[in-house]
Amino acid sequence: MLLLYITRLIDVFPLFLKGLWMTIAVSFLSLITATILGFLAGICRSSRNMPLRRAIGVYVNLIRGTPFLVQVFTIFFILPEFGIHLEPFPAAIIAMTIMGSAFICEIVAAGIEAVPKGQREAAISTGLSRNQQIRYVILPQAMRTILPPLVGQYVLLVKDSSIVSVIGVMDLTRVGWLTVQRIPEGMLVFGLVGIMYFAVCYPLIRLATRLEKRMSVEEYSL
Amino acid sequence: MLEYFNFRVILQYLDQYLIGLLATGWMSLVSICLALILGTIACVMRLSKNRLISNTSAVYIESIRSTPLLTQLYFFYFGLPSIGININEVQTGVLALSLNSGAYVAEIIRAGILSIPRGHVEAGIATGLSFIQRLRYIILPQAIGVVLPPLLGSAIVLVKDSSLLSLISVLELTRAGQILTSERFMPAEGFFTTAAFYLVIYSGLKVFSDWTQKKLIYREAH
Amino acid sequence: MIKIRNVNKWFGDLHVLKDISLNVALGEVLVVCGPSGSGKSTLIRCINRLEQIQEGELIVDNLNVHDRNINLTQLRAEIGFVFQQFNLYPHMTALGNVTLAPIKVRKMKKIEAEKLGRETMQKVGLGDKVDSYPAQLSGGQQQRVAIARGLCMRPKIMLFDEPTSALDPEMINEVLEVMVNLAKEGMTMIVVTHEMGFAREVAKRILFMDEGQIVETAPPNEFFTNPKHKRTQLFLSKILSH
Repeated sequence: MLLLYITRLIDVFPLFLKGLWMTIAVSFLSLITATILGFLAGICRSSRNMPLRRAIGVYVNLIRGTPFLVQVFTIFFILPEFGIHLEPFPAAIIAMTIMGSAFICEIVAAGIEAVPKGQREAAISTGLSRNQQIRYVILPQAMRTILPPLVGQYVLLVKDSSIVSVIGVMDLTRVGWLTVQRIPEGMLVFGLVGIMYFAVCYPLIRLATRLEKRMSVEEYSL
Repeated sequence: MLEYFNFRVILQYLDQYLIGLLATGWMSLVSICLALILGTIACVMRLSKNRLISNTSAVYIESIRSTPLLTQLYFFYFGLPSIGININEVQTGVLALSLNSGAYVAEIIRAGILSIPRGHVEAGIATGLSFIQRLRYIILPQAIGVVLPPLLGSAIVLVKDSSLLSLISVLELTRAGQILTSERFMPAEGFFTTAAFYLVIYSGLKVFSDWTQKKLIYREAH
Repeated sequence: MIKIRNVNKWFGDLHVLKDISLNVALGEVLVVCGPSGSGKSTLIRCINRLEQIQEGELIVDNLNVHDRNINLTQLRAEIGFVFQQFNLYPHMTALGNVTLAPIKVRKMKKIEAEKLGRETMQKVGLGDKVDSYPAQLSGGQQQRVAIARGLCMRPKIMLFDEPTSALDPEMINEVLEVMVNLAKEGMTMIVVTHEMGFAREVAKRILFMDEGQIVETAPPNEFFTNPKHKRTQLFLSKILSH
């Protein structure tokens, strides 16, 4: 019986590859949009404008305080009430962007705060505007602190992408879920799903660890 | 928008939400405790000089970290019955949550232990303290300070992750929201209420986390 | 050039600048000294508005510094500031450091700015270090680059906040030399420092501050030989003894 299931699994393997591709597509697109939004939010989060900081703080806490699954359901089911009817794929991207940007916002803000105060004062003293200060002096230095946790966040995005399977996106998890209805060998099917996620996530995790080590080494050499 | 918000419906389903809240609460609690035990064991194994023991633990930790929780959950939910293990959804859910969180706990504890400067331990050895004494007066006090905040963070993540259990038909907070939504076609009332409950839990845990951190800083100053 | 009238500043409840009034003329070199906590750093940091004042007037080159509507960019372009901790941008070369503001604030073309940058670096004695990164330079060299960074904006005033206090003793002179040359060329300078040799050589006046107030001001020879106030005498005895 097991052998039969294994052969069936091999037959549907191309579907798994398609699912993996969808996972990568959703993750990659969201990664880009979340990074852009997250950096903008992070820069605003560390501005001197208190109302702005608080407003972004509220948004960040809302996202960090609720499960991603609930956010996905909210976006997918509530937006139609406002007349916006979305296909699963765009809805998924939106949900992942909103979630990812909240976390990236905090990472960026922390990186900016970590730049020594004297750097900001030096930039101010030569007449640079706030935008110029951030762009030429602060952000380049903040990137060292930002990069490792940023890559870590990308890994989390890939893993959380599995949740969008519940609104019908045909990603790797959904393919697994559909397959297990026909091939009732849960461990086989989801073992395969797991291995495929592992293939994507593990290298990213290693990259993040390596970046972290490199950053702490550089600190010493300075 | 709030004028159309149907509070009466929410009150009608309040009992479901409270059951869900309770379920979320105690399942998270049990999972956290199990995760702590599992994580400590895995950590000790990981730090062992025995290659086999260390690698076994490493395989466990890296597999969990590189695969989504949903995949792990489905792995057990669909996989265990197919090898003859029949446990109910709640038990499956707690199993998946504990195993998942345990891997992260292991890494947190490992980082904590490794962060204690070797010099402190050597000072203890040099002044004649026994292993137990070194553990009690030098290693543990410092380790707890380093380890407690991320552990609390891990607990918060676990509470949010418990929302995935709704997908295997466990009656918890998210499922309560799903029930309201599907029975009354009111996604806003359904999911905003769910979100509100999670935010309350999150704020509570965060306040607790900040409070413990303040107490820890006070202790270190001594 | 600089008019300071009845300036008061508080950090919370702490009254750090008490009714400060002072004039600095064009081309004058003013040295400010005093015990730590006297408010001397705070005072010069108010001049380019790194710190805000709560009361009083601060006028630089006819610009009211603490006016809400003032063009801060314009103000800061005319004031060069040298920090105790140098604060060079570690991710840029020395040339990058000194040319950033001229390019972005004065809108100079890169080629022009680099030419100016090299000349200024030459002037502070580091013509061959234009492509070095701050991490590759000694403390004294970094501080000289910091001075060059201020000078490249062609400011009307240069402010120095304890420029040699963070340097190892053998590097202090190379920085002081640059500052002495600057003074001799007629730059308006306010220098917070303990280097009395420097003060004796180029300062027109020395200001002694204590507990947020100006206690005494006098030309160098008078200041050192005939301090009028007890606190000044006490301070001088402490710093001149080593």
